[in-house]
Amino acid sequence: MSRPVFSYWRLRGLNMHPRFSRSLVVLGFSISLIARAQCAPQSGGDFSNNPQPNALPSDVILVKGAWSSASDSVTPVPEGGRVANNLFSSQYFGLTYALSPDWIEKYSGPPPSDSGYYVLAQIRPANTFKGTIRGSILIAAQDLFFTLTPAGTALELINYNKESLDADYKVEQPPTLVRVANHSFVRFDYGSPVAELHWRVLATQIRCHMVQFVFTSRDTKLVESLMLEMSKMTLPAEAGPISGRGGGEVPVCIKDYARDENVLERVDPVFSERRFNPAPVRIIIDKKGKVKHIHFLSAFPDQAKAITDALSQWRFRPYLRDGKPVEVETGIMFGRVPRPAIPPSTNAATE
Amino acid sequence: MKTAKLASVVAILAGLFFPEMAFAQTDPGVRSNTGVNAGQPFTSVTASQNDLAFFQTGLGQFNEHQTVTGNNPGLGPRFNLDSCGACHSQPAPGGTSPASAIFPNVGPNPQSQVIANGVVNGSTNTIPYFVQANGPVREARFPFFFNLFGNPNPNAPNGGVEDLFTVSGRADAGSCSLQQPSFNTARVTNNIIFRIPTPVFGTGLMANIDDSTLRANRAAQANNRLGVGGAFNHNGNDGTISRFGWKAQNKSLMIFAGEAYNVEMGISNELFTQDRPLPGEDQLGSGLPSNCLNLAGIGYPEDITHSDGTTASTVTSDVGLFNTFMQFLDQPTPSTTSPGGSTSIANGRRLFSAIGCAICHTPSLTTQASKLTPGLGNATANLFSDIEIHHMGVGLADNVSQGGAGGDQFRTSPLWGLGQRIFFLHDGRTTNLLGAIQAHQSNGSEASQVEENFDLLSPSQQQDLLNFLRSL
Repeated sequence: MSRPVFSYWRLRGLNMHPRFSRSLVVLGFSISLIARAQCAPQSGGDFSNNPQPNALPSDVILVKGAWSSASDSVTPVPEGGRVANNLFSSQYFGLTYALSPDWIEKYSGPPPSDSGYYVLAQIRPANTFKGTIRGSILIAAQDLFFTLTPAGTALELINYNKESLDADYKVEQPPTLVRVANHSFVRFDYGSPVAELHWRVLATQIRCHMVQFVFTSRDTKLVESLMLEMSKMTLPAEAGPISGRGGGEVPVCIKDYARDENVLERVDPVFSERRFNPAPVRIIIDKKGKVKHIHFLSAFPDQAKAITDALSQWRFRPYLRDGKPVEVETGIMFGRVPRPAIPPSTNAATE
Repeated sequence: MKTAKLASVVAILAGLFFPEMAFAQTDPGVRSNTGVNAGQPFTSVTASQNDLAFFQTGLGQFNEHQTVTGNNPGLGPRFNLDSCGACHSQPAPGGTSPASAIFPNVGPNPQSQVIANGVVNGSTNTIPYFVQANGPVREARFPFFFNLFGNPNPNAPNGGVEDLFTVSGRADAGSCSLQQPSFNTARVTNNIIFRIPTPVFGTGLMANIDDSTLRANRAAQANNRLGVGGAFNHNGNDGTISRFGWKAQNKSLMIFAGEAYNVEMGISNELFTQDRPLPGEDQLGSGLPSNCLNLAGIGYPEDITHSDGTTASTVTSDVGLFNTFMQFLDQPTPSTTSPGGSTSIANGRRLFSAIGCAICHTPSLTTQASKLTPGLGNATANLFSDIEIHHMGVGLADNVSQGGAGGDQFRTSPLWGLGQRIFFLHDGRTTNLLGAIQAHQSNGSEASQVEENFDLLSPSQQQDLLNFLRSL
């Protein structure tokens, strides 16, 4: 395809009047547009005359499916945690965790799942790591509003882990309550004899999410030493295996607050395309009962827009604590509701 | 006891003097010492004269080479190859990309031979740069439409198949004159991705797994502590789980066959009733030139149900026969001893589950009752897939959306028959199983943590796992 080129500066060199030369530039540009419009874009043709090929970036996801997003960029979201300067910090969970020297986040995690599972950070030894045996740390969260597991608290979730553990694994320590960084956690140890790997799971609950640290290694001494470094974590006051239900500086979280008796006005979103995917949404309701913030864990952009349009018209009964209205965080599942798991028989730890 | 001590000393010495032998784990390669372990019909099909006739007719049709006109009409005007069985041939009809020097030596990549074989005219077509004699059969897609200047427009997702060849210049193509897509420009602008054929062994079993079984399996794996999420792709018409294709975008084998017949071979049929222009031609509204339409001279659709047939299999359309052939293909038979011996394979299988591979690569699922043939009903499908789509990270993302799957999401590839596959991953980028495993790890991948667990295994454990995979 030929590309007409008009140079303003070359025209100036011909000593034309600037206004005239500008008119020529505009005219030339218009002609070039017309010429290009008449020259059809080609898919089956030959672009070999393109003198300035612009390559798309590699290693970038440009076409996304259902993804996470939010109604504003100011309010912290669960997936917003970051590793920087050897420190994992999450504003949403009010949590900081210092990585051991020579441990890094090499690969970021996937977006949140439509059942509310978050990979917050994946930590592993850097190339400078001196040890002979490696390991890994997974920091993850599970939204207790949308979990497919029949559990209402982090403690119940870990108990479920133990009860549903495959027979090939060996329980090395059943779920037990422990103190970490002056907060209560539930700890669960198990291993795989065939893989000779050991897992140490430490979990607590913050804002109705189970927040979980999973340590993996062949070397139990390594994981124990990594776990000791958790003592330097900072956590919000609410953190605990069943106690983490928001409040204080953050909204109170209440499962199923959007049930009929609390919703004064409701408008259902209308999806333009039938995709049949679950579209879980976390909302913050202000003290007057209006939706203040929407976090889409997993939704297509058109679904997010339809849900936003609908939720802006919802009115809730304000939630009162000690007689005063407070902000509430709750979850609503739009689209298809996923099938929950069947609970195993339990022999559980209790708080 | 003395023997054990001696063995330990020998092992240590071997490790010292031959470290790569002692520590290096390697892909055993395509399993070649157990015969071809795929491509047979269910025994219940063999036991039924009518069903076997259907299967055999379907197999014949699957391997048939189409032409523009003549007895097997309808090819083109654009196509990737002229036969289902040419692409789906390793290690048997129904499989995937073949090679001439790898068991069972099916032959070179047939796309590299189209000029030599007279399928396309060498004066009007060239072999694209990504088609090699010893490489995989490939289809190409441009993730984005090009703008007027020949650069990809990230705001205009495309993702449709860009057929490699045209019928132009063939003696039976009349005056139809078409250009091949701009593969070289797409290469320069990083706007091209590839797909290789998915094997269809056992797909009848996959079709017959009820949605409730898949949803229950997902719920059971949801709380996995290894970073794995997962979702289903759904059929937009009825909302049920779709399951075929690299992104689980197709609901049924009939649709899968009808689409492939139309898109890969250019043959219109009762499911996809028109000759298909390229996405760019379609976008422009220009479509295919009129002198490239109805080249067979028989009207549309080119493949139909035959009212003049005399038996069930001669009445049935080609697409219907493809469907029956695939439905009746049994799952591949794994080896219990090769490679590496039964102990290593059994150990590898346990390791596969222990480190988390089995969260997505579900070892088996049970089918529902079948009206087609008893072999499909209430059967254990050892597919090693959850039929979910998972985020696979920037390293594997192809920026093609299909149904509800985004550019980084892929269906968990079923692993049955893997022992006799040559090329791995959606674009066939590697023949090395170890490389395929490592590709599971990148920014944004659900599988990074599981791959990290694989890295934590000892070399001998990794070897067991590779042996297990090559036993499938």
